[in-house]
Amino acid sequence: MAHTQLAVLFTSVALIVIGLYAAIFVDNIIKKIIGISFIEEGANLFIVGIGYKPGGIVPILMPGMNSTWFASNASYPLPYGLVLTSIVIGASTLAVMLALVMVLYRRYGTLSTSVMLADTSHQEEYDE
Amino acid sequence: MNELIPLMVIVPMMAALLISAFSKFDKVIKVFAFVVALCLPIIPLLSNYGVHYFGGYAPIVDNITNILYHPAITYSFNFPQQIFIGMVGILTFLVVFIYLTKYTKVSGPYLFLLFMGTAAVTALILTDDIFHMFVFFEILALAQVGIVAASSIDYSYEMALKYMILGSIGSPIMLLGIGFLLAMTGTVNITDIVAIIRDGIISTSSPMFFLSLALIFFGWLYASGLPPFHTIKSGIYSKAEPHGAALLQSFTVISMISIVIIMFRIYSVLPIFEVLIVLFSVLAMILGVSLALTQTDFRRMIGFLAVGELGFIGLGIGLGTQYAITAGLFQALNEIVITALLFIGFGAIVNATNEVDTRKLGGLLASHPKVGIMLLIGGLAMAGVPPLSGFQSKLMLVQASLSCGYPELSILTIMVSIATFVVFVKTFYSMFLRPKPHDLEVVDKDVPRAMIFAMVVLLIIIVALGIFPDVVTNGISNFVGGMLH
Amino acid sequence: MRLYDQIFDVVKKFKELFSPGPVTNADVSGSLTAEIFLIVSLVIASLLLRHVSVLLAGLVTLILAIVLISNIPLIPKFKIEQDDSLNKMLFYAIMVLGLIVIFMYWGGRFV
Repeated sequence: MAHTQLAVLFTSVALIVIGLYAAIFVDNIIKKIIGISFIEEGANLFIVGIGYKPGGIVPILMPGMNSTWFASNASYPLPYGLVLTSIVIGASTLAVMLALVMVLYRRYGTLSTSVMLADTSHQEEYDE
Repeated sequence: MNELIPLMVIVPMMAALLISAFSKFDKVIKVFAFVVALCLPIIPLLSNYGVHYFGGYAPIVDNITNILYHPAITYSFNFPQQIFIGMVGILTFLVVFIYLTKYTKVSGPYLFLLFMGTAAVTALILTDDIFHMFVFFEILALAQVGIVAASSIDYSYEMALKYMILGSIGSPIMLLGIGFLLAMTGTVNITDIVAIIRDGIISTSSPMFFLSLALIFFGWLYASGLPPFHTIKSGIYSKAEPHGAALLQSFTVISMISIVIIMFRIYSVLPIFEVLIVLFSVLAMILGVSLALTQTDFRRMIGFLAVGELGFIGLGIGLGTQYAITAGLFQALNEIVITALLFIGFGAIVNATNEVDTRKLGGLLASHPKVGIMLLIGGLAMAGVPPLSGFQSKLMLVQASLSCGYPELSILTIMVSIATFVVFVKTFYSMFLRPKPHDLEVVDKDVPRAMIFAMVVLLIIIVALGIFPDVVTNGISNFVGGMLH
Repeated sequence: MRLYDQIFDVVKKFKELFSPGPVTNADVSGSLTAEIFLIVSLVIASLLLRHVSVLLAGLVTLILAIVLISNIPLIPKFKIEQDDSLNKMLFYAIMVLGLIVIFMYWGGRFV
């Protein structure tokens, strides 16, 4: 069913657009990070979507399978391998970002981006 | 010995893991880190040129279509890879050496980040697999964030978090572009993708192909710190410890050239590719240098200069002829060395005076003549004064843009060089030459010996490359010629 | 006379730019250099358009030169737009992403 693939691709585009919107317009840093991880999930979902095959089987060659039949029916395994790696990377990035936010929250007492991550170049240049 | 090719990545990575796992044993870690750092520049020198297939899966020929497939992750090692990996190895050695001599108790996680970053850039420049490139691009970004956050400078956490948030927009966008390429070609091996495009199996005028270029290009802008990412890139340089910043800028330059070479191989059939690269390079040159002129924090100033110099590399690649690309890659090599020298030298000044504002400094030539002279030569090399290495590459770039029929770009290149010179002279004057302010206290008279040693090594490389540029340019030119045909 | 006053104002603006703290000769002359460098380099870069169309290049260069010169001092404005605040960086990054994608998807073939 091509509908499934189309739905997946639309969802991924929607996730990316929501993420970009959140990155600009949301002030709370946690919400902003959630929004940004939407972009990442959107990209992952897109790559999963392109590996989709209508009626495809799991791409593992079991003993006793006809290899010609397997080759024409299995879905493409490469995207899934890539997405697995990408999810792991995304999780570690998210962890580092949230850890930095924790440290900064203790220092500033707020989660507002415009306070926490404002311009700092003037304050430090000339402090007597 | 082709077996050494994967070891270039495995050695620093294993060292990083071992160091962070056994960081309790201080003495052992110090000796181990020193030995590994010493090995890093030696491995690429001993290795033979060639390719390495991970898992031993050699390419397969499809009997029906006669197309070659690369099932394994492939590393290809050639002259430019050798020279760049060797240079990053030397720089890593110097930085680790400075770090080990600076502190009596070393931090395992910090050494982990330094080695991990080196492993990541080595993999970036070796790989022939676009997804492998993405993975190490992300690892590199994490290592860079760690190096910035580990410094004791004010606001380093804030800068690290900003870099990370911008990175989490840049890298998924790049992944999306890789996804588009994968959807069109069904493979992530760059040689295969290039073959598919050259055989006309996919249409290069389809909007999807252009879209994949746009998305990967945006990721490249983030990796290399061209506009709109020039502020954050110069920011993280100024917030890292000086020796860390010296390594960070080399990571930036190498990730820039390795990704742009991959993009060049895939997308050079599109005329718009070169337009895009030249556009953003020119913007980087103008914005980087004009913002450097207005800075009062000299670390930030070097950061902006480093970003502006990246524009020269991009310009060389964007012109697209064999001579121009050679000039761009040679400029990349020079920039790694020169900017590292400047960061380490100015770091020595921060060490001695605890002050980063040029308005509050002065008269340092009397107390630090050695550092002053070496910084002066480094600055002249960056501005492109003969017979130093920066002159050779910038001259090549000017000639390349003239012979391509773009005299405007030549004029712009020369103007940016002059403005770079102005930035440097202004800073050098206010730090070293003008009378010392009364309230300036030089905290610690001695500059660490390790820093002087590192600067001398880098200076020797600068002068040697300036006098004998052919040693490098001939090899790079051959490689570029092979890539173009 | 107006232009002269404007250039005089530039120096006053730079005082604000470098506050807090003293303004040294070197800083003001550096900023003036940056100002001139910015105008000249942008104008020269716009000359590259002559490879598309000579008429367009002439028009754009003239308009750019007039707009830039009548808007000095540019550097304070440039510096405020490119400070370290995350919101500005994100805004410009995403705007550039949007421009590249839109331009490449619909206009990439026509170059």
